[in-house]
Amino acid sequence: MKVTSILPRVSLTHGRNLGLLSTLILCLLLISFFSPKYLSIDNLLVVALQVSFIGIAAIGTAYLIIGGSVDLSIGSQYALCAVASAMVARSLPSPLAWIFGVAIGALLGLTNGLLVWRVSISPIIITLGTLTIFRGVALRITNGFGVRGVPKSFATFGQAHWLNIPMPVWVLAVLVSLAHMVLQYTRQGRHLYAFGGNREAAEAAGIDGKRLLLVCFALNGALVGTSAVLAASRFGSAAPTFGAGFELDVIAAVILGGVVFTGGEGSMVGVLLAVVLLGVINSGLISIGIDPHYAQMVKGLALVIAVTLDQFTQEQQERHRKKMASLERASTA
Amino acid sequence: MIRGVGITKYFGGVRALDSVSLDLMAGEIVALVGDNGAGKSTLVKILSGIYQCDEGSLWLGDVKVSHLTAKRAREFGIETVYQQLLLCDNLSATANVMLGQEPVRSRFGPFEIIDNKRSVEQARRHIAELGIELTDLSSPVRRFSGGQRQAIAIARATVKAHRLIQFDEPTAALGVRQTQATLALIQQVAARGIAAIVITHNLDDVFAVAQRVVALRLGRITLDVPVHQTTREQVVACMTGMSFQRDAS
Repeated sequence: MKVTSILPRVSLTHGRNLGLLSTLILCLLLISFFSPKYLSIDNLLVVALQVSFIGIAAIGTAYLIIGGSVDLSIGSQYALCAVASAMVARSLPSPLAWIFGVAIGALLGLTNGLLVWRVSISPIIITLGTLTIFRGVALRITNGFGVRGVPKSFATFGQAHWLNIPMPVWVLAVLVSLAHMVLQYTRQGRHLYAFGGNREAAEAAGIDGKRLLLVCFALNGALVGTSAVLAASRFGSAAPTFGAGFELDVIAAVILGGVVFTGGEGSMVGVLLAVVLLGVINSGLISIGIDPHYAQMVKGLALVIAVTLDQFTQEQQERHRKKMASLERASTA
Repeated sequence: MIRGVGITKYFGGVRALDSVSLDLMAGEIVALVGDNGAGKSTLVKILSGIYQCDEGSLWLGDVKVSHLTAKRAREFGIETVYQQLLLCDNLSATANVMLGQEPVRSRFGPFEIIDNKRSVEQARRHIAELGIELTDLSSPVRRFSGGQRQAIAIARATVKAHRLIQFDEPTAALGVRQTQATLALIQQVAARGIAAIVITHNLDDVFAVAQRVVALRLGRITLDVPVHQTTREQVVACMTGMSFQRDAS
């Protein structure tokens, strides 16, 4: 037996990754046929930059959903972290402002985590509430206007390049790799899958569910904060209207990436592929001159098709299992 | 080895357990019977540290424990196989058997890298020691049948428990053949020197595997005798409180 087969992945996930990869390649080929410049290094770097903000946040959301929870307030967290970081940069050194933005994110995430843990209502409802609250705070502290007077040094993080690759892309690459390794190879990752799969069973096995959940929420907030700081820093400013609908883009990418909304299933590879695929659909349709409103529809359609296929596959497996079980019973009777 | 003395537990004004005293020996299989609400589950939960008793004391070996927590019970080597099995359907048989006890290969800051090779070997060994036949350890356990899932849950308990395993209605959801296999597993467990408490409604199970039968009724022990010294009629009488003529035994 292969030693790697103990990993808590199912063939469905492998199939999903393969499907995403082939769809991605197909899309790239189609787009480059109509718009040959699309596959140039420069353009691909722009696409990579565009997807990196959603990609970084998708890591945290994937962890949360695998663990059986979700945070809908990430769009508002994104806005609040961005404006907080930009405002602090006006009076403190920029590196401190960047760190501040990430720390605020962790704090907001932790707050959500504590609420979700303590109040036994669906995390969807609770974080729907904090979504509104955080957005309100962002609007209040800025009076609804963009943050002005941010020093130039604040922009050096988001606008930095290394080996000609923009900083947000590097951050995404490093974080996704780490997140993948933690999920696949560590006890913490295994326990997250277990907790998402069957909370009661995980706790009966001695896993500290509260700690796991709080860490995931805080981590998610910190990742959203990182993404927000990178974006604010790249623009050299921030506005309280940042990140409207951000949560929907992120969750759509995570689900399309094969993370099951009820928890316990999914992989980082799938999430990354889905984030890139959605980014390519978006920019590709624009570059071949199709009305960008179609991009919205295509993205939504991709999600609907993906989860429908999932459902069909599961139903088929279920039928197969039932058949096997009745055969087993017949043979033992 | 494990002793409870005068264990009493209240839920509000209801006395769920009323000065229950119980001794458990290594390798002994004790059947715990009783009607619904007799206090069987409460007793099991006290022994696994989920509930704390209001009066009475627990002895784990030579140590008197006034406040048994779930963690302490687990450290002492007490595990429970619940009726709903508490398996993670999304994980493989190996991952379920080793859950919470994964061998660590190396550490990386706060992260502990799982030693997959050792994990598979250990799970395999525990499964083999119980004489369970499972060909595929890597598929998610949702694909397994009821009897196989029961076996996986028992194998997991044996990874951690070296003193006592409590079985909560282990055969309730199983067919005839699977019931036999599960009872054989319980005997395997006991043969390794682990005490076993088997909660059951099925008197066939009691007389098939248990060495001792303990009946609870309304929170009190009404019977605690070796199985060969009792009859079905007496056990039923002690469970239900219906009159019973002693000379029948």
